[in-house]
Parts: sequence; structure tokens; C-alpha cells
Amino acid sequence: MQARFKWSTLILLVLLVLSCLISLNLGAVSIKPWEVIHTFLGNGSDKQELILFQFRLPGIILALMVGAGMAISGTILQSITRNELADPGILGINAGSGLAVIIYITFFQTAAGGLTLVSTFILPLFAFLGAILTGVLIMFLAWKKGIDSIRLILVGIGVNAGLSAFIIAFQLRLDPHDFVKAMVWLSGDLWAKQWPYVWALLPWFIVLSLFTLLKTHTLNILNLGTQVTTALGIRSLRERIILLITAVALAGLSVAAGGGIAFLGMIAPHISRRLVGPRHQLLIPTAALIGAIVLIMADAIGKNVLLPTQIPAGLIVSLVSVPYFVILLMKTK
Amino acid sequence: MKSLSAEQLTIGYEERIIVQNLNLDIKPGKITAIIGPNGCGKSTILKTMARLHPASSGAVYLDGKMIHKTPTKEIAKKLAILPQSPEAPDGLTVFELISYGRTPHQSGLSRLTQHDQTMIEWALDVTGLKHLQNQPVDTLSGGQRQRAWIAMSIAQETDLLLLDEPTTYLDLAHQLEVLHLLEKLNRDDKRTIIMVIHDLNQAARFAHQLVALKQGEIVKQGTPDQVINTEILRQVFNIETDIVTDRRTGKPAMLSYELIK
Repeated sequence: MQARFKWSTLILLVLLVLSCLISLNLGAVSIKPWEVIHTFLGNGSDKQELILFQFRLPGIILALMVGAGMAISGTILQSITRNELADPGILGINAGSGLAVIIYITFFQTAAGGLTLVSTFILPLFAFLGAILTGVLIMFLAWKKGIDSIRLILVGIGVNAGLSAFIIAFQLRLDPHDFVKAMVWLSGDLWAKQWPYVWALLPWFIVLSLFTLLKTHTLNILNLGTQVTTALGIRSLRERIILLITAVALAGLSVAAGGGIAFLGMIAPHISRRLVGPRHQLLIPTAALIGAIVLIMADAIGKNVLLPTQIPAGLIVSLVSVPYFVILLMKTK
Repeated sequence: MKSLSAEQLTIGYEERIIVQNLNLDIKPGKITAIIGPNGCGKSTILKTMARLHPASSGAVYLDGKMIHKTPTKEIAKKLAILPQSPEAPDGLTVFELISYGRTPHQSGLSRLTQHDQTMIEWALDVTGLKHLQNQPVDTLSGGQRQRAWIAMSIAQETDLLLLDEPTTYLDLAHQLEVLHLLEKLNRDDKRTIIMVIHDLNQAARFAHQLVALKQGEIVKQGTPDQVINTEILRQVFNIETDIVTDRRTGKPAMLSYELIK
């Protein structure tokens, strides 16, 4: 597995660089890959520099962060619940975040699209708080002298359904322009492609990812079930709560910048498990790479395939994920 | 030698009380088998004595300390418990699983020390899994899989080893393989072993001490000769039995049995 990890990491890194180059290259103004490299070396024209550094690069870093964040969050959730269907979307964390955003648009933002400097940062803050509150709600509802995994997932699915209903109820009260905006946001659009957002979110993302990497051994043990975990001297409940909070925070950050991207948190760990096996020392980095590649590509495709219309990256991810799951289901007995 | 005992132990699920005021002393350095009908509280008692289940009242003492008030990591260095039919994630290799048994001896980051390596090698050897160490656990046969889990528990390097139905779902030869392994671990390293087991003949053959339970109460505790007799089995299992002496082992064995009408 160690050797396989080296190879898959190498290939994934190449794919990541390729998808970044493709994404930098595509757009209303096409910049050739060598021009990209030229510009990075400081030899590009002013226009190229503006497009690359101010428009496309923050977008790519954001996609990388959101993709990796969703993937790590999904991996944690799948391991602590020991269920490969768990992901932030299924547990209602995306919906909770979405509801917070819709509430914000309904009550606080009067003119559609009129983003002032304050509101640029309040929207992601709402999304993040929505995710955290939903996480707390799920834990609270699932609590019964401890947290049972199946109970957690079932409560999550219930909360998801309930919050989705609220979202529709609120959406119907929006004016058409806001409605479209909310729809685009909910389906997972990387809208925050500007440096201030990147700087606001990146430190948290790095801290949470590093923390998860410190917890890889604990995740390996939690994957063996509650009883074995306790038998091996690890405080199962405490560790699961800490990791659940980490996963929710990562999902919250991702949703804040990228909207409700469905499936990514589910498929990225799924594919990585097939590549490098169940050990989290290998699984977490691989899942993060896959999540990043998928989202960067999805974003690049969504931006360009139906020009001038832009399709939210989340929709592209869903479009790719559904066939993956159908094939997977057909292969399993 | 580490001691384990229960004093005035009461255990329940929700409101339902399973075991009331149980007193149980485990003989150090011996194999103890807990027997009794389904639902009599065997597994519950085993789990509670290993702090996997809370006690409603009373206490379990490990080395004179209340087990439910001792840090779980400290317990894991003295006592290992293998729950019934544990499951490993797909693709996890035998070596990796066994290495997880070293968790209580490691700091947060799981670097394996020289001593960790030695213990893992020993566990692989004694369970006869050396040639399978790089195989995923989910591809092994039932008997091999159970041995891999036992190997993880013994790599934990504890004086006490508790097992919940270690022979369930195994065929006769594999059951014996597991039991012989436990016998060897007890004989060679003087480990205290406590197991819940259904087969009375195997219990009589491999355990030094038997604890016969009915409805959460100890009917009889003692050597196989003291416990495996017509009178007690009638009381515990509600069956009429013919007991003979097994010529191969010299232990009491049940030849035939019938429900009491």
C-alpha cells in the first residue's frame, strides 16, 4: 500500500497541476499554458497578469481548498460513523448552511447583488454558522447517553429533510432575481473567487487539515468500532465528538465559499479507499487531492462548456458522481 | 499478577436490570469460562468487567482500583478485551490490525518502536499468521480472521485477556485451534483469560474455573468437576444430561442431553 500510495500521490499531483493549468487556460480570455508559465515567471503582459493573478488564481486556490475540505470532512464522517454513505450533504450540514444563507438574503440583503464590503464577509459567516449550528443540532438530537453511529446518520437525514423544507419555504418568498441567486448558491457555485475570501478562509482550512492529520491514528482505531476503540484505551465518545466538530467546521468553511456541493464528500473518500486502502495516514491526503482535482475540473468545465452561461461547479460534480455510483452499485453483488 | 473482581455489581440496559448484586472473583493466572443460557447476562458481565459497559451500582476492581473510574488508556495496558464478531474495514492488512493493538503503549502519533515491532512479530508467530501478515483481513477465512483479532488483543501486552464468544461461527477444527492458542497463552505467559463460551464440553476441557450463570445470578462457580454435573446443568439450562469422563482429557463431558418436560 505504501508503494501504491507513492504512485497514486505522484499521479494525482500531476493531475492536480494539469487541472490547474487547464483551469488557468480556459475562460472568456484564453491564456496558453506556456503563457501561464511565462506570466508566473513575471514575463506576462499586464492583461495576462490581471486575469491570472486577480481572477483565475484565487478561484483555483478556493476550489482546491473547498474540494479538499469537503473530501476531508467526508472522510472523517465516514470513519467515525463507519458508514460509507455519510457526508456533509447527507447529514444536513450543507442544508443548514444553505438555510442560513437564504435567511440572510431574505432579511438582510435588500437589493440583489448589491454586495458591500461588509456583506461580502457576512454571507460566508452566516453559511459557516449555519453549518456549525446544524452540527450541534444533530449531535443534540442523536445524543442518548453517547452517540450511536446509525442514530447520528438517521437524525442527520431527518434534519436534512426538515431544513430543505424550510429552504423551499423561504425561497418562495424571495423575488425572482434573489431566487435565482439562491438557487445558484445552493447548487454549489464557487462564487467567492477573490483574494479577500481566500485569505479569510485559508488559515482555518490549514489549521483544521493539520489537526485532522494529527488524528489519523485515532481515526484508524475508530474505524474498528466503539467497543474495540475503548478496549484499545481510546476515549471513543470524546474523540468522535472532537472529530465530528472538525468535520462540520471543514464542511462549514467549504460551504461558505462554495455553496452546497453535493456528493464530493462522499465520492472522494470512496475513490481514495479503493486506491490506497483504509489507513488514514494515506487516505486523508489522497482524498484531499481527489476532492481538489474533481472540483477544479468541475469548475473549469462549468465555466466554459455552455459559454456564456456558467454552470455551478456543484452541478457538474453531481453529474459526474451519479454515474460513478450507478457503476459502483452495478458492480457490487 | 493483576486481579479482577466484581463487588455488588448491578448492571442494566435502560430501565431493565440484567444483573443484580453480583460478586465475582477471577482467579489470576487461570482460564475462566462463563457459561449459561442465552440472555443470562454473560456478555454483559464480561463487557462491564472490562469497562465497555457502565455499572448501575457496585464496582469492578482491577488491581484494587475501580475500573469505571480509571483512565481508559491505563486499563488498556493491563486488560485486553475482544468483543464478539468485530469487523475490520476492507483492505486493512493483518499486520496493520495487529499493530493497532499497540495503541495503549503509544503516544498520539503512531510511530512503532523496536519493542512494538517485537510484540507484533511475536503475536504473528504465536497465532501462526506470519505468512498472511500482508493479506487484507477481509480476505481471510473465519478461523484466520478470529486469530488475527486475537493477535491484535495479545499484542496489547496485557496480563488479562477477555474474550466474548471467541469460537462463534467457526467450525470444529477452527474452534479447537483458537482454544489451543488460548491454552498456550495461559500456560506459557501465565495470562489470565476469561471467556464467554457456549460449548460446555469445550468449557470443561479448556477452563480451570467455570462460572455458571442463570438470569444474572451465579448458580455455581468452581472447577469443571464441581460445575459440570447433572444437578447444576438441570438448574442452569433446564436440561437433563448424561455426564461422562472424557478419556482423552480426563475432564467431565456431556454425552447426551434432553429438554426437561
